[in-house]
Amino acid sequence: MIIGIDVGGTHADGVLLDGDTLVAKHKVSVAQQHLSDVIITLLQHLVPGDRSTLQRIHLSSTLCTNAIVTGALDPVGMLLQAGPGMNPDFFAKSCPTWFLDGAIDHRGQILRDPDPGKIDAAALAMRREGINSIGIVTKFSHRNNRHEQQVAAQLVGRFAHVSLGHRISGLPNFPRRVYSTWLNAALASQFSLFKNALEEGLAHLGITCPCHVLKADGGTIPFSRACEFPCESVHSGPSASVMGCLALAAQTDDAILLDIGGTTTDIALLVDGAPLLEPYGVNVAGRPTLIRALKTTSIGLGGDSRVAWHNGTFRIGPERQGTSMAEGGTAPTPTDAMVVLGKLAVGSQQQAAMAMLALCPKESPEYTATLLLESFVEHIRLAVEAMIEEVFARPVYTVAALLHRRRIQPKRIVAIGGPAAALQSFLGQALFLPCTVPANYEVANAIGAARARLTVQASLYADTGDGRLSIPELSCLETISSRYSMPDAEKRLKGAVSMMVAEMGMKSCPEIDFLERLEMNVVRGFATSGKILTLKAQIRPGLTTI
Amino acid sequence: MSSFMPHALHKTALILFPAFDWCISPNHPEREERLLYTRDQLIEEGLEDVENILFFNPELATFHDINRVHLSVPSAEKLLTESHLISAGGTLRAARAVMEKEAEKAFAIVRPPGHHAMQTVFGDRGFCVINIEAIMVEYIRRHYGVRKIAIVDTDCHHGDGTQDIFYNDPDTLFISLHQDGRTLYPGSGFLHESGGPAAEGYTINLPLPPNTCDEGFDMVMERVVMPILDEFEPELIINSAGQDNHYTDPITNMNFTAQGYARLNRLLNPDICVLEGGYSIEGALPYTNLGIILAMAGMDFSQVREPDYDPSRFTQPPEMTKYIEALCSKALGVFAGRGSRRAEAQQRRIVTNQKNIFYDTTGFHVQERTSYHLCPKCPGYSEIKATGHNRHIHAYTVPFNACRGCQGEAKDMFQKGKPESGTIIALQDRIEDIYETK
Ligand SMILES: [Zn+2]
Ligand SMILES: [Zn+2]
Repeated sequence: MIIGIDVGGTHADGVLLDGDTLVAKHKVSVAQQHLSDVIITLLQHLVPGDRSTLQRIHLSSTLCTNAIVTGALDPVGMLLQAGPGMNPDFFAKSCPTWFLDGAIDHRGQILRDPDPGKIDAAALAMRREGINSIGIVTKFSHRNNRHEQQVAAQLVGRFAHVSLGHRISGLPNFPRRVYSTWLNAALASQFSLFKNALEEGLAHLGITCPCHVLKADGGTIPFSRACEFPCESVHSGPSASVMGCLALAAQTDDAILLDIGGTTTDIALLVDGAPLLEPYGVNVAGRPTLIRALKTTSIGLGGDSRVAWHNGTFRIGPERQGTSMAEGGTAPTPTDAMVVLGKLAVGSQQQAAMAMLALCPKESPEYTATLLLESFVEHIRLAVEAMIEEVFARPVYTVAALLHRRRIQPKRIVAIGGPAAALQSFLGQALFLPCTVPANYEVANAIGAARARLTVQASLYADTGDGRLSIPELSCLETISSRYSMPDAEKRLKGAVSMMVAEMGMKSCPEIDFLERLEMNVVRGFATSGKILTLKAQIRPGLTTI
Repeated sequence: MSSFMPHALHKTALILFPAFDWCISPNHPEREERLLYTRDQLIEEGLEDVENILFFNPELATFHDINRVHLSVPSAEKLLTESHLISAGGTLRAARAVMEKEAEKAFAIVRPPGHHAMQTVFGDRGFCVINIEAIMVEYIRRHYGVRKIAIVDTDCHHGDGTQDIFYNDPDTLFISLHQDGRTLYPGSGFLHESGGPAAEGYTINLPLPPNTCDEGFDMVMERVVMPILDEFEPELIINSAGQDNHYTDPITNMNFTAQGYARLNRLLNPDICVLEGGYSIEGALPYTNLGIILAMAGMDFSQVREPDYDPSRFTQPPEMTKYIEALCSKALGVFAGRGSRRAEAQQRRIVTNQKNIFYDTTGFHVQERTSYHLCPKCPGYSEIKATGHNRHIHAYTVPFNACRGCQGEAKDMFQKGKPESGTIIALQDRIEDIYETK
């Protein structure tokens, strides 16, 4: 039996699953409570009796989001080696930053070592400012992590927490690596407090099973790893929703997933049934990061959005003004339209009709309501189209890739959320697609959290000319022979991923995908001097097989 | 995107397409690896997240776009691969970004390059088959009605193809800065090559001595290029941004730096840049391309330096500076005297030039005779006869700025021409935008 818990802004949902069967569900308010208490309360309700049959607890929480919103982040100092390139002064806007000299180039070759004196001076200054959590990032550390390691070694034992850029992601993009590292360092103590409180609570309930955390990429990691990489637990709400949709209505084709709420609608896309990922990562606290995430777009459009009639069209949202008029609110909302059309049974039918009349006094409420909901789904259609175009326009770098780009062609809509059922026929008509609204969608996020499986990714960069191999996610830097080949690289990376999976306590390793294979001859002076091999491996987000 | 990322003062579109699966041959300078390190540097810098810098994929140019500019033998379809259409399509995407105001500026970082491709095309010359800038220029004229365009070619090699295509067009100012043709391929680009009979003074060549440093380039830009541009008042400035003037380039002998390239672009302030040559793929291109992008975008490029950059290493000897000074005055003289012999040429009605074009990649020669049919109202049309590889073409080209009379005359000539085997008879009419052969 697996428990899935989704903590949202106002409520937390929990489900108890036996295989894919929903055994129990429960909802609590999260106002004014410690997150760990909310979770413990849910657990008590979900499994009042014997808790020994629990296999795992999967948790999607707003811990990190709350820490960011309430400013409960640790003060962080960043040590950056920017090398030649764009002026890096802008990083100092994010947090106190010290720049190191030295550089590593695009091939991961060390151009010059950083001056240890400067590192010491920076460390002293950070201590003086009361900084106890630091991030160390060098440009191209995904190609060569030596400088990050050197700096960390020099400062060992001097700070409570140290985050290294290359450990967080093997992807390129220095600013994103810097901000991911900053976020990781900033969440360190909050996460560890949460972990202690939760572990205490679990012990109290006699729960001994492993606890996993849901990530933005729709996968999970064990709590122990999340403690080292708390940044991975951000933005798990949207991924819980996507995984929930998958669990409730599995697809094999391209599809559109909609989570329609009170104030926002979240859109995600499936390609051949698998959720689409961001090319780099999610934006957190205004900063772009390398935290792997599902591609979701949120638009300010929901059942409780305020509606105004302006120049012959409806202006819907993005703000909300309390509830619908049917439920005693003061401004017309899409919910009122749904009530008028008999698609939703909440509040007063009469008040809802008043809302429609307030918008268009000369038209019948039914007519206005229909027009309003058509306009509502038209906004969604446009957002979906823009998203598909954006994905199609992602940069490619080979002739083959350019010529064989495929545009996503959705075959179905899966919609969840309060207004989803009421909008089902409107969505189907506007997008010319069948629209499914699965049962139990009100606990989709918790189900999604419960059913998500472990995800892992790792990247490999090998330069046979220099005889060097880097797998940043493992801090691995090895010597290789000049005959090192792509099959060797695949084997090495597969081994690395299997090892990570085993370390996370999983007995069997799901299928590993290889991505972005690139093999390039290095030619110097009209002769081949070596090869550059790059490769990524991942366990893609998916559902646990039952 | 956020206040935590820098933002570009000028909205700049990048069409970055390194074509990792295409080469002329595996060990050729124009091979898969050429833009690998540039791509890696630009991505690691985080340019994709800089506010106001946009990345676009190239589109594919059509054969129609190619035939608007080139006379291909036996045909564009037979000579070109998809890679060429993508490289040209990259420049068209750049043009569209600027002309449709998706961005203020655009840089097509694409390969293969194009500035050695002349109007007639029999194969690959100097790594180029089709002239991607020229295709872009005529595309812009066709679709956006732009007339006066300046092309400043800062590749180390003389842009002989671009010069050839616009040689008799007074609405295209072509300025080429390059290593002296006596010391480098293609061996042309001297001051006296100053334009056809209707466009004399609108081709300006600046053959610089080997080992010219930043100082020399700065001087030429300040004393010649900028004043001439100010006077010509182009509607659009294009930089053929070859990067083989760099001090580490393996096939040239100049001493230009990434800082120099960035400064040049800040001064030139081009609307569109198109990558041309540049074969120091590891030590120069990542830095020169980044420098050019930051300069175009109006961002700080002061920290873009090659790993082995040492400003004291390159100081220009005073004699060289004097030589370049003298070159600057002569070049200004060429532009000042523009159009002075036009009336005299017009009296002759037809002016004919002969040339021998060498195709270095496979090694064959093309004999070409161009007759400019001059007109008092317009630059006139040209008649081109070229022979190479036992194939012949006899073509009539009506430029976009020709008058109705010249257009009709060229059409008549084409219609009168008798088809014969082994000879393509062609009409390239840029007013009607048609390309016909028989
Ligand atoms: Zn060149
Ligand atoms: Zn005329």
